[in-house]
Amino acid sequence: ESCGHIRLSVPIVHLGDPVMASCTISPNCSKLDQEPQILWRLEDGPNQPGDRQRRLPDGTQESIITLPHVNHTKTFVFCLVPWGNSFQVLDQAELQAGYPPASPSNLSCLMYLTTNRLVCQWEPGPETHLPTNFTLKSFRSRADCQYQEDSILDCVPEDRQNTCSIARKHLSLYQNMVIWVQAENTLGISESPKLCLDPMDVVKLEPPVLQALDVSHDLVPRQPGCLWLSWKPWEPGRFMQQECELRYQPQLRGANWTLESHLPSSEDQFKLCGLHRAPVYTLQIRCIRSLLPGLWSSWSPALQLRPT
Amino acid sequence: PLPLPRSFLLKSLEQVRKIQAGNSVLLEKLVSGMCCATYKLCHPEELVLLGHSLGIPQASLSRCSSQVQQLTKCLSQLHRGLFLYQGLLQALAGISPELAPTLDTLQLDVANFATTIWQQMENLGVAPTAQPTQGTMPTFTSAFQRRAGGVLATSHLQRFLETAHCALNHLVQP
Repeated sequence: ESCGHIRLSVPIVHLGDPVMASCTISPNCSKLDQEPQILWRLEDGPNQPGDRQRRLPDGTQESIITLPHVNHTKTFVFCLVPWGNSFQVLDQAELQAGYPPASPSNLSCLMYLTTNRLVCQWEPGPETHLPTNFTLKSFRSRADCQYQEDSILDCVPEDRQNTCSIARKHLSLYQNMVIWVQAENTLGISESPKLCLDPMDVVKLEPPVLQALDVSHDLVPRQPGCLWLSWKPWEPGRFMQQECELRYQPQLRGANWTLESHLPSSEDQFKLCGLHRAPVYTLQIRCIRSLLPGLWSSWSPALQLRPT
Repeated sequence: PLPLPRSFLLKSLEQVRKIQAGNSVLLEKLVSGMCCATYKLCHPEELVLLGHSLGIPQASLSRCSSQVQQLTKCLSQLHRGLFLYQGLLQALAGISPELAPTLDTLQLDVANFATTIWQQMENLGVAPTAQPTQGTMPTFTSAFQRRAGGVLATSHLQRFLETAHCALNHLVQP
């Protein structure tokens, strides 16, 4: 038979807001005086009386206290009574405080052709100090994303991850979808701005493999300051029409890159000349979907070559 | 002629290439990887008769010949064909655990392409009031029939896609 019981007006409160607590001692708590003075303690603070204590019609003793500003994210609240020359704890409650979630921001998504998954990430916003659930929500739509077609299964990220990946079977490629992040805790719900995207417009392309070509000089006259290159598109993205750009720089301190743009995504023999400023040149290539929206691939690993 | 947006044609061409890539992987795995290597079934051309008896349908793209005059009929044939192959690929489910991922992705890609075509027909106001309903699909009573059906279906799909690619390519030329 537990003698005391704490009730909080609200177990989770906005940081800095007030909270009211009541502690009641049942009349049939035989071990205590008839009308014991009920005391309160916050964490390891001093014992203090409540704002007021009264006896209820059924004989229950009730003490009420208001904590004007809850300034800690976790506070243990104790209800005690004097006991000889010490005290007895009758009950303990945990008071949590924090913030409602701010709107998640910087939502961005990439479609991975190798795993066939759309992976989105976002920034969660400032710490709420409370358990906060993030959910990636989306639905299928049409060209301008003005109205909703069928919903897509919510994507729940793994614990504490600010990223979630939607499997191919939930995606309708070449169709627009609306996608956003919802954050929720006991103090509120917020949503990120909505993105309107076709997964195929945010494909994460990988660069081609850039290779030096060994040209036999009995076929091709030796030309000083030249290099022969070849590259093949990244296989999983081969079905996408792409254009590429090549950048090269002499291995000299502070040298700038020179850019060759609008190159095809596959090249068996590419001659690059005019390379006289250094014995060794660094070259990289990257590609982007052409004629349709797309994202640049990263630059290929650097290739160090000696011009003829 | 019907105003077909260039982005629709470009996306459709890319979708065809994507499906072709997936389908040739499946065909390769089916024919040389599985049927030939494991089951000594190495000549798809020997399966024509079986294809008839199993009732493996072939989708026609007769209205999408190089001179695409009846564009509405071509789009509608394209959609019906994609819808048919979506059903056929579904009927192949369970063909083998190794092929399942490739088959699932291919089926989704075909379904998504069918949606692209259907939505464009709706945008043009030439879409039928109701989506087509799937005809009866072949039922395979043995693993051999399912393998053979798989080879035939993917071969038919490859030819269908080549015709579609030609027609779309013709339309996208400025």
